[in-house]
This record gives sequence, structure tokens and C-alpha cells, in this order.
Amino acid sequence: MALLAAVVLFPFLWLLQMSVKPTADINVFPPRLLFTPTGAHYRALWEGAFPVSLWNSTVVSATTTLLALCVGVPAAFALSRARFRHEGAIAFWILATRMAPPIAFTLPYFLIYRHLDLLDTRLGLVVIYLTFNLSLVIWMMRSFFDATPRSLDEAAWIDGASVWQGFVRVTLPLATPGITATAILCFLFSWNDFFFALILTRTRAITAPVAVVNFLNYEGWEWGKIAAGSTLVLLPVLVFSLLVRKYLVGGLTAGAVRA
Amino acid sequence: MTCMPLHRPRGSTRRMFLKTSAAAVGLGLVAARAPAVLGQAKEFKGVTLNGACFQHAYTNVLKEFLKEFEEKTGMRVNFETPAFPVYNQRADLDLSTRGSAWDFLNITFIYSGRWIGAGWMSSLEEFLSDRNATPPDWDAGDFVSGAQASLTDAKGTRYGFAWEAGAMIMAASRYDLIEKAGMKMPETFDQLRQVCAAVDGKDGVKAFVNDNLHHWHWPPYLMGWGGKVFANPPENLTPALDSREAVESAEYYANLLRQYSPSGALSYTMDQGALAQRTGRANLRTQAIAWLAPLATAPDSTVKTTVRFAYMPRGPAGAFPGSVSHGFGIPVGAKNKRAAWEFIKWALSKEMVRRAALEKGYIAVCRKSVIDDPQYRKNMTLNGQDLAALYLRVLEESGRLGYMKYRVVPVYPQVGDKMHKAIERIVTNQQPAREAMAQAQREAVLELKKAGIKIDA
Repeated sequence: MALLAAVVLFPFLWLLQMSVKPTADINVFPPRLLFTPTGAHYRALWEGAFPVSLWNSTVVSATTTLLALCVGVPAAFALSRARFRHEGAIAFWILATRMAPPIAFTLPYFLIYRHLDLLDTRLGLVVIYLTFNLSLVIWMMRSFFDATPRSLDEAAWIDGASVWQGFVRVTLPLATPGITATAILCFLFSWNDFFFALILTRTRAITAPVAVVNFLNYEGWEWGKIAAGSTLVLLPVLVFSLLVRKYLVGGLTAGAVRA
Repeated sequence: MTCMPLHRPRGSTRRMFLKTSAAAVGLGLVAARAPAVLGQAKEFKGVTLNGACFQHAYTNVLKEFLKEFEEKTGMRVNFETPAFPVYNQRADLDLSTRGSAWDFLNITFIYSGRWIGAGWMSSLEEFLSDRNATPPDWDAGDFVSGAQASLTDAKGTRYGFAWEAGAMIMAASRYDLIEKAGMKMPETFDQLRQVCAAVDGKDGVKAFVNDNLHHWHWPPYLMGWGGKVFANPPENLTPALDSREAVESAEYYANLLRQYSPSGALSYTMDQGALAQRTGRANLRTQAIAWLAPLATAPDSTVKTTVRFAYMPRGPAGAFPGSVSHGFGIPVGAKNKRAAWEFIKWALSKEMVRRAALEKGYIAVCRKSVIDDPQYRKNMTLNGQDLAALYLRVLEESGRLGYMKYRVVPVYPQVGDKMHKAIERIVTNQQPAREAMAQAQREAVLELKKAGIKIDA
């Protein structure tokens, strides 16, 4: 088990040690494992434009996740509970938004965004991530709601609750693990996106993954900054995932089983 | 309020008329003769100029002095400098949609044929022929011909001016090992093979190294062998990748990578190739001077005292070292073309290039007058070798002979990719050279047909 963990964590640990290695030692061959750590690469990032990109990533990912949940969770509940014509077709249509590769949407999005003056704005990124995350939320949460017994809703209604009150006070608390898992996945998809951020931003709304690539300079790669930047991009996700792993595993498992 | 007399004496009116007319003519003459710069302060005040280029030592210099330009002209400049791959992706997309996001941008060498050929860049001839827009002392003829080749179309129309040039030379990081083997810097392909065989593995140093831009590295070997990428670019783009010369040179080059290079060199980035040399893990390399000069100058170089430079070795047909250049141009969709030209003129003026070269140690300059400057020559004399002379020779030869035309045809990125993959297949023994090059030829023909290009039967 420890060996497996070591193998899985090796790339991250390598990145971590590189981020605190003096520049002169980074490319020494064979690699030096004993060295005096330095915070120079992190300092350089802090003094440059990287904090802005990190902030952009945080704002865009958090906003997207929040909006996707606010819109997607009630929609998933409706799809799970209501019975209406073309129910399956609508659910499939929602999923279809994720079927084409992102490259297929590049040019239309770019042109529309240019026309609407949304290029290089955080709002533009939120809108595009919302498009992709909404289908994820709806499909994942629909499975959770399907797994929650209808009789609980009905019991709430008998006690005088409205449909909305039943949803908020009874069903939603039961779906907390699912919502947590879905929120994490939404956040990760937005946080890790490189392609759309590359195409649709310039300088003001640039996100952290694109900012890291900006250290791949024509005359040489800034390995120390790349490692420090990548660590900063990875770290919040890693810490957050570890903190809520109980919900994450529980949520994903629950969502995988239909009642 | 001033009261004006209703009637004036006639003579006085005539005199006033004559005086006024003379003054108006005089002012007109002064205005016509005045340097353009007098008018610029007003003309560009309030203009916000948007430009982009990839991050580079030269763009760092420009940014450092940008304030001077802004104060002189009254305009404000937003100069974006993302990394090379990020810049190319964004610029290609914006240009392909005839965007107006940027008023000036860099014409990246590998895209120059595509961007200029597709009509996405503005001709600069209008500005160059206007004495008010371009004073004669700006001296457009001072740019090295080889550096300007990719920024000029077949009719001679100029679309950009070079700020960076790459000239391929050869460097040995451990010349001491070559000397110890009783040999000299190789001057021919045969000698290169002999030197590699003699010094490979000595002192733990592999004899050769290069990076994964095979479509940049291999053509000089192909042409040295007497082969060609296209039959006669830009007029006849029939690929010639399955010729005897192509097969033999591909086998030769692949063998340098397979037999004499460090493990994994096939997929090395340019930076990794440079590091292999700087850290003394690999010896010989044929690459642009900007990647090789740091062997003698970089603080982390472990081979400063043993490095030696030479002209690209020649094959049976001669020596054809690669040359590239990147230049500033103006997109057709730009909103402030006149202001953009003002920026380009400033950024590539003799004064600015000289400052970059002499004050900031910039190497890859494209103005002959600066390359010939004694101070630049002194700075570029490394380990007793005149690198400036090698640099100029490569750029002038490539301009004079025009052998780099293959590189700037719009379809080169696609064809280059086929060549690149063929070299990979040969090095990894997936295919013999003959088969790999035949496949590259077939694939290149398909790409050209897809692009609607007429080729020989």
C-alpha cells in the first residue's frame, strides 16, 4: 500500500522538491536529492503576476461551482421527480453539451465572445465553464435524487410542506454527500481547465494553469517557477480533496447505485 | 467687446491680404518640410496601442524603454508578451478571424508563410515609401537580407521587420575531447561522423545532441546532401522527401541521434538540448547561435573554457545552415496602423537595436550596422572566436542563396510535421529510412492536395 502511494505521489513529490531547489541544482545530472531548500521561486511568483492569475482561478472556479449547483441541483431534482413527455430526450440533450471535444467550440466561442466583448473577462470564463458543468451537476445529482426514496418527500407533503420546502428541508440534506462530490468535481474541472482559458483570456483574466505555461519561454524554461506555480495550482485541490474525502467517496459511491 | 471700423482704407486692405497670404504660404511650406515627429505628438495623443509578441530578451528590453516611446509620442502601449506556445496559439486564432485585438504583433517564423500568404498581415510598403512616415535615416536596407526573407513575399513586398534572427552554427561543448582524439572541429558530414565515433562516451560525454524540432534540424543535412524539401519553392511545392538524397541524409541524421546522443534526446526540448551541452553531458550540436552562445556566457555553464564554435559542416552539395527570423508586423484588422508603424520604427530603430546589443548584451540583432559595430564584435568574441562573423555569414548566405524559402511556404507546418515524424520513426527503428521517407512523401502530397496546391504528377 505504501509502495503504491509512493508511486502515485512520486510526480507530485518531485515537483515539490523542484519548487524549493536552487536554480543551479535543478538541472544537475544525476539529480541531487540533498540540497539547501530555497523559497526564491515562490518569492519570484509572489512578486510577479502569478497571484492575480491564482485569484482569477479561484474566483472563476468558485463562482462557476456555486452557479452550477444553484441551477443544476433543482433541475436534477425536477428531472428525478417529475414525470413528463420527452423526459429522456431532455436529459440526453443536457448531456449532449459535453459530447463534442472543446476544440469544436473554439472558433464559435471566440467569435461570439469577441463580439460581446467577453474576451479576457472572468465573466466570460464563468459562462463557458457553467455550460459544461451544468450537465455534470444535473446528471450526477439526478442519480442521487433517484436514490433518495420518494416516500420521504411525500411524508413532508403530508405534514404540510410545499414541494420546494420538502426539497430544501428533507431531500437536500440527505443529498449532502452527493452535492459535495459534485461541487468538488465542478470546481476541479474549472480549476484545471487550460484550453478555454488559453483561448479566451489575454492578461486580465488569465488563470493559473495558463500562467504556469507562460514560464515556458522561447529562450529557456524557468523550471523553478514552473514547479512552484504547478505546486500552488495543485495544492489547494489536494488539501481540499483530502479534507472532504469522506464526503467525496461516500458521494461518488452513493451516486453510482440506483435505488 | 472690440469695436471694428466699418470702412478701412483700400491700400491697407490689400497690404493685409498680401501679408496674410504670404504668411499662409510660409506656414504651409514650413509644415510640409517639418519633421513628421512634430505632428506626431498631437496625432498619437490619446491613442492606445495594443501589441503582442512572445516573451524574449528583446521584448524585455523594449518594455524597459517603453516609457520613453510613450512620452515621445503621447500614445499608451499595451504590450503583451506571453510564452512562445501561448502567443502563437492566440495570434494564429486572432489573425485567422481577421481580428483587431492587436495593432502590431510578432510574425513568428514558422507561421510567416501562412500569415502573410493568407493576407492576414498588412503590407508595410505604404509606410516605407512615405518620407513623413519613414525618414530615410531609419534605413530599411540595413536589415540583413536573410533575416528579412521570411517577412517578404515573392514579389518583394515587405510585411515585417526582423528583431530576432537565428543562425545555425555548430558548437562543441567539450572541444578538449576532440583535440585529445587528435581531431579538429568537423567541416564536412563525413568528418562529423568520424569525430562523433571517436569521442562518443569519452569522459562520460555523448558525442552529439539535438532537440525534437527535426523539421528544423534535418533540412540543412538534406540540402547538404543535395536534396530538397520542395521541388522549387514557392512556385513549385511538389515535395521531394523520397529522393535518394532525402533517404540518405535522413538515415545519416537519425544515426547521429540514435547512436551518439543521450538517451531520450529524440524528444528533448530546445532547452533540454541546451542543458545537455551546458552541463557537459553532450558535446556537438548544430543549432541557432542564441542557443549555443550561452555555452560560453551563461553563469551555469560548466563548459565555458572548453567550448568551440564553427560553421555548419558541409555535405557533398555544400553547407546550408538554417536561419530563422521573427519580425514585427501589422495585422490587416489593426485599428491603429499608423501608430503601430510608429512603434515598429521605434522598436527597430538603429538606436534601440544598438542599445539592446551594447547595453543589454542582446545577441540576435538583425541590423548590419550594429553587427558591424566594433563593440558588438568585441562582445561576440567568445573564447577567441568571432561569433558575429559566423552569424552574419549564415544570415547573408541564406539570404543570397534563398535556400530557406522552403520554410516559409504556408503549408510548411503540415509538411514539416510529416518530416518530423519520419525522422522519429527512423531513429526508433520503427521503419527503415527508405520506407519512412516514402511514407512522409505520400502524407505530404495528401496534405498539399488537401490545401488545394498544384503539384507535379
